[in-house]
Amino acid sequence: MIASGQSIRFAGVAHSFGAVRALLPIELEVRPGEFLTLLGPSGSGKTTLLNIAAGYITPGTGRVLVAGRDVTDLPPRRRNIGMVFQNYALFPHLSVFENVAYGLRARGVAAAELDRRTDAALELVRLGGYGRRAIRQLSGGQQQRVALARALVIEPDALLMDEPLGALDRQLRQHVQLEIRRLHRAHGRTTIYVTHDQEEALVMSDRIAIMRDGAIEQTGSAQDLYRRPVNAFVAGFLGESNLLRGTLVALDGARARLKPDGIERTIDGAASEGLSVGRRAAALIRPEAVQLSPTAALKARLVESVYLGDVLSMRLSLAGGQVVLCRRFARDGTPESETQGIDWDPRDVHILPDEAREAPGREEIKSAEKEEEI
Amino acid sequence: MAERSPGFRFAVHGLGSLVLAFLLLPIFAVVPASLNYGSFIRLPPEVWSTRWYARFFADREWLTSLVTSFEVAAIATAVSALLGTAGALGLTRIGGRLRAALTGLILAPMIVPVIVTAVSLYYVGRYWGMTGTVPGLAMAHVLMCLPFVVLNVGVSLRALDPSWLRAAEGLGASPARVFATVTLPTILPGLFGGAVFSLITSFDEVVLSIFIAGVQAKTLPVKMWEVVRLEFTPILSVASTLLIGLTVLLFVLFRLAAARARVAGVGP
Repeated sequence: MIASGQSIRFAGVAHSFGAVRALLPIELEVRPGEFLTLLGPSGSGKTTLLNIAAGYITPGTGRVLVAGRDVTDLPPRRRNIGMVFQNYALFPHLSVFENVAYGLRARGVAAAELDRRTDAALELVRLGGYGRRAIRQLSGGQQQRVALARALVIEPDALLMDEPLGALDRQLRQHVQLEIRRLHRAHGRTTIYVTHDQEEALVMSDRIAIMRDGAIEQTGSAQDLYRRPVNAFVAGFLGESNLLRGTLVALDGARARLKPDGIERTIDGAASEGLSVGRRAAALIRPEAVQLSPTAALKARLVESVYLGDVLSMRLSLAGGQVVLCRRFARDGTPESETQGIDWDPRDVHILPDEAREAPGREEIKSAEKEEEI
Repeated sequence: MAERSPGFRFAVHGLGSLVLAFLLLPIFAVVPASLNYGSFIRLPPEVWSTRWYARFFADREWLTSLVTSFEVAAIATAVSALLGTAGALGLTRIGGRLRAALTGLILAPMIVPVIVTAVSLYYVGRYWGMTGTVPGLAMAHVLMCLPFVVLNVGVSLRALDPSWLRAAEGLGASPARVFATVTLPTILPGLFGGAVFSLITSFDEVVLSIFIAGVQAKTLPVKMWEVVRLEFTPILSVASTLLIGLTVLLFVLFRLAAARARVAGVGP
């Protein structure tokens, strides 16, 4: 991969919309050529952070550095950053070619070079020969690619994408995900990608930063986040998971014991950081680690069983009402009786802190972000 | 919708035509009236002729008033287009009550009885020496034209997606370039519509003009108003026909431009 991008560093960046704190101080460095995804529910501050990187929002405190240079006070037009908007924001009165060429014209690029670079960018997104079309003649997927070409043709220091696939249907979305991945491998530009869709994040990212209530909960590769989530929120947000919530009753170095709410047994597992006895915690057991066994003491009722070809996905309900997901190879057969015993290997259990953050409600931030957009 | 019987449709179309005729015939009656040969207006003319047209275009005073009308309309439209566009853009950037209040102020000349505005302007204009001058009359017309531009451009601006402006800025465009390449093309249909309505308004305006015009800035409607009190010859119908013709022409141009804008996918 040719790394033609620059690093982006957020140094203590925080922002409020009026009285609503949208971002708590953020420390994050995106490496040159890296594809980093900001993943989180709406109102978690990910779009605000992206707009701060682009220069559309000036942060209340903190600095933004691109390739080590402080750009915090530069307006967007002086930053050389390519942005792909959620609704693409293509200019409807201009042709495909003129949309893509827009940034080059603004830079005063000479005609011959402008033609060459614009055509090359259209080829890159596989829209060669579409230059003379009007925007409204294109499908949603094609418009998305025009937006990408327009952002890439200026050879930006970084590419920012704000939920760019939200308007596409599911099948097209998967196709475009791979396309974006291919482009990223080809041009190697530093990319910050915002989404609330975990699957998108998993398919495309080198690293994922999971955000909640204006803060980054955890940053790491998809594997890191899946295998070693730092808390129940991250575990619940990435991948399917069983989170049995309760109170921590014992902590001994690397091992911890949880008493789940409404279940008549304790759960042992590997202790993660930030736990203390008597506080709220959750046991994370991935669905593939849950075993059905007639001899197990914990009984559950089989509510639903879905055959997915290679695997069988089951929903079970415990006496206390908690739902447990279980996945196993379909060739192992469908359980016959409705009542099942469930068990797991304690080595597959992670005990995680499960504390709510002291922060403004998500709805408040969401409305504040909306206002900012208008 | 269910198919109606031919008789019902005939009745509806017939009634509609009658209403239209009631509205339009008195106006278009001036066209045959202008083609009388004699000195009295008869409908239909006993002898058809264009001699009153020849009279009109040979008469220095009538011609001067026609030219004055063009001058006043051109200045009033240009100034309204400029101020109105700036006003409409400005209104989108302020919020809440202030916007409502300012919109009300700009639209006030449409609501306040014209005679009140005319009397006020007469006093103020006399104090500043603006009465009886072409610029003075044009400024008075701007008051009446401005609402059309602000409203029309305002409607066009609703089609302007703020993210286009942000995209253009992010691609390196200066504020002036963003305006020229994104904002202006989007509001152009509204601006054109506002300008056409301004031209028509200024051309047809008579109440303000009578107060402000004086001798130096006599527009066509003012001249007509003066003449009608002295004589009632077909030359008045000639002037009326010219006014109607110009108004219709401008309106048709506007509709054509609006239709083209719709085909191009921009504008209202």
